[in-house]
Amino acid sequence: MDGSYKKSGVEALVDDRVDEGVFRVDRSVYTDQDIFEAEIERIFEKGWVYLCHESQVPEANCYFATDIGRHPVVVVRQKDDSLAAFINVCSHRGALLTSKKQGKAATLTCRFHGWSYSCDGRCVRIKNEKEGFGEDGFDRSQYDLNPIAKLANYRGFIFGSLVDDVDPIEDYLGAAATWIDLMVEQSPEGLEVVPGSSTYVIRGNWKMQLENSVDGYHVSTVHRVFASTVRNREERESLQGLKQTEGGRLVGIVPSGSYDLGNGHMSIWAQHTTPERRPIFKKKEWLEENLPAAHVEWILEKGRNLALFPNVMLMDNPSTQIRYVKPISADRAEVTVYCIAPVGEDAEARSARLRKFEDFYLTAGMATSDDMAALEDTMAGSFASQAQWSDFNRGLKTMTHGADEGAKAVGFDPVSSSESWENETLFFGFYRRWRDMMLASD
Amino acid sequence: MDIDNDLKRDVAELINWETTLLDRREWDDWIDLFAEDAVYWVPTWVDEERTVTDPETQLNLMYFRNRGGIEDRVFRIESRDSYASLPLDRTVHIVSNILVAGVEGDEISATANCLVHSFGKHGAQTRASLYDFKLRKTEAGLKIILKKITLIDDKLEGPVDIYHL
Repeated sequence: MDGSYKKSGVEALVDDRVDEGVFRVDRSVYTDQDIFEAEIERIFEKGWVYLCHESQVPEANCYFATDIGRHPVVVVRQKDDSLAAFINVCSHRGALLTSKKQGKAATLTCRFHGWSYSCDGRCVRIKNEKEGFGEDGFDRSQYDLNPIAKLANYRGFIFGSLVDDVDPIEDYLGAAATWIDLMVEQSPEGLEVVPGSSTYVIRGNWKMQLENSVDGYHVSTVHRVFASTVRNREERESLQGLKQTEGGRLVGIVPSGSYDLGNGHMSIWAQHTTPERRPIFKKKEWLEENLPAAHVEWILEKGRNLALFPNVMLMDNPSTQIRYVKPISADRAEVTVYCIAPVGEDAEARSARLRKFEDFYLTAGMATSDDMAALEDTMAGSFASQAQWSDFNRGLKTMTHGADEGAKAVGFDPVSSSESWENETLFFGFYRRWRDMMLASD
Repeated sequence: MDIDNDLKRDVAELINWETTLLDRREWDDWIDLFAEDAVYWVPTWVDEERTVTDPETQLNLMYFRNRGGIEDRVFRIESRDSYASLPLDRTVHIVSNILVAGVEGDEISATANCLVHSFGKHGAQTRASLYDFKLRKTEAGLKIILKKITLIDDKLEGPVDIYHL
């Protein structure tokens, strides 16, 4: 596709009349394949996207293969411990270089004709070079790998861009940086991705996955059964053991809130009714000694979901998760979930964290599977062009412009704040960013 | 090791019965085949060729340390309140290659292969698994004390619940 979707058409898709009490989105943003192709070009290939966590490339020569839009990309740990990222295709004929998703290799060697590249991207070997290219004056460096334009590491989370013209990573993250800080500062030794992951294909648009992750409104309907299952479990068993979770939070009776964090980033939080059952609670004393009181309160007492535009979600609620979304087509996306945890966490807390993760998240879990069903039904309904608008007006009249007290206390500056995670004003920022990138001049 | 033919027959009967009860939605009878301390384990894949090996410290699709885990799943299915489980996918389990691997005291190890065909919102799907069982001889007959399901497919469409495995 040539990205020929008319820019003049994009503006009409986001009906942004907040002053008149209206914010709605034309559902063709989910269904139209031309819009999808334009998104890949104008959003994924023209801005920052999340690539991986630094713990997934722990040592020199470790690599992690991912994508930016249509470009396979490989992140490689260098000998000096820095990171580099390249377009993951052989300079010769374009075959993918990495044999696996993740691994360690002295060189990246193309398995087609055997060309090899060192971890810094230099072409170091061409099979039968002299016979094919002659003895004299042949400059192998013309075949070095293409580095991606920008690579940034924000506290362990690695982002990349195919274009130079992007804001510094701190500016791109903006208010969302504090939400990452709240995850990272829980552990003096950093965070690590726990072995194992799960990938599932959703029959839905990639944006629906981001929306779902910060949609507090569905929790008391879709996850009512999770809450009742847990209550039933707690009645059946004693309250001992590691499977405990907090049912109250899921039926909408606790303090909560949501934020439009700017640049398309969004977040929600809800109060933990029993924070003492969370794995992190064991570190309460350490947190209190080392962090400002407002940070400790946010870490221990507020379950948090963060959606970073355009392709990753970071959850500390009820377990800790990296959820990566890869757009496949207008109506398909691949989602990969990882459990992320403090390095050096004691065995009991780690196990509790994982069991909560398996309970709730995953396509085999008792909540994510229900989320997927809701999402896929939403996708199926979105093809009905005679019922074209998705409505995001909830909370419009009560939203706070800028920071509420909670945001001020912990020190981030959102575009708007809302007093309930059921409100949908956070999506204004997502679709404004979407519209702005779709309309940006080339 | 010489394994008694009667035992082989009983093991095969149990494994065939277990999946039949899933397909027939006889949930309570299905749960009854498991001992109270039965472990139910579905590992994730660490990479393209290896699954996780330690369920305690690594991520699993499902890992229940006792029978309560599958009881939760049945509770959720029967509640008719789970979006992903209403309507329930239809399933047929085809079990083959049942082998008794060893006997130690009252405990029997067995392996099998399973192909599960399901039909529902996601259309017709077929997923394959390796089964590893540990069974215990009790006065009430053989009971399952471990069912480990290595699901070969790891790019999953649609929900994965106990009846899909």
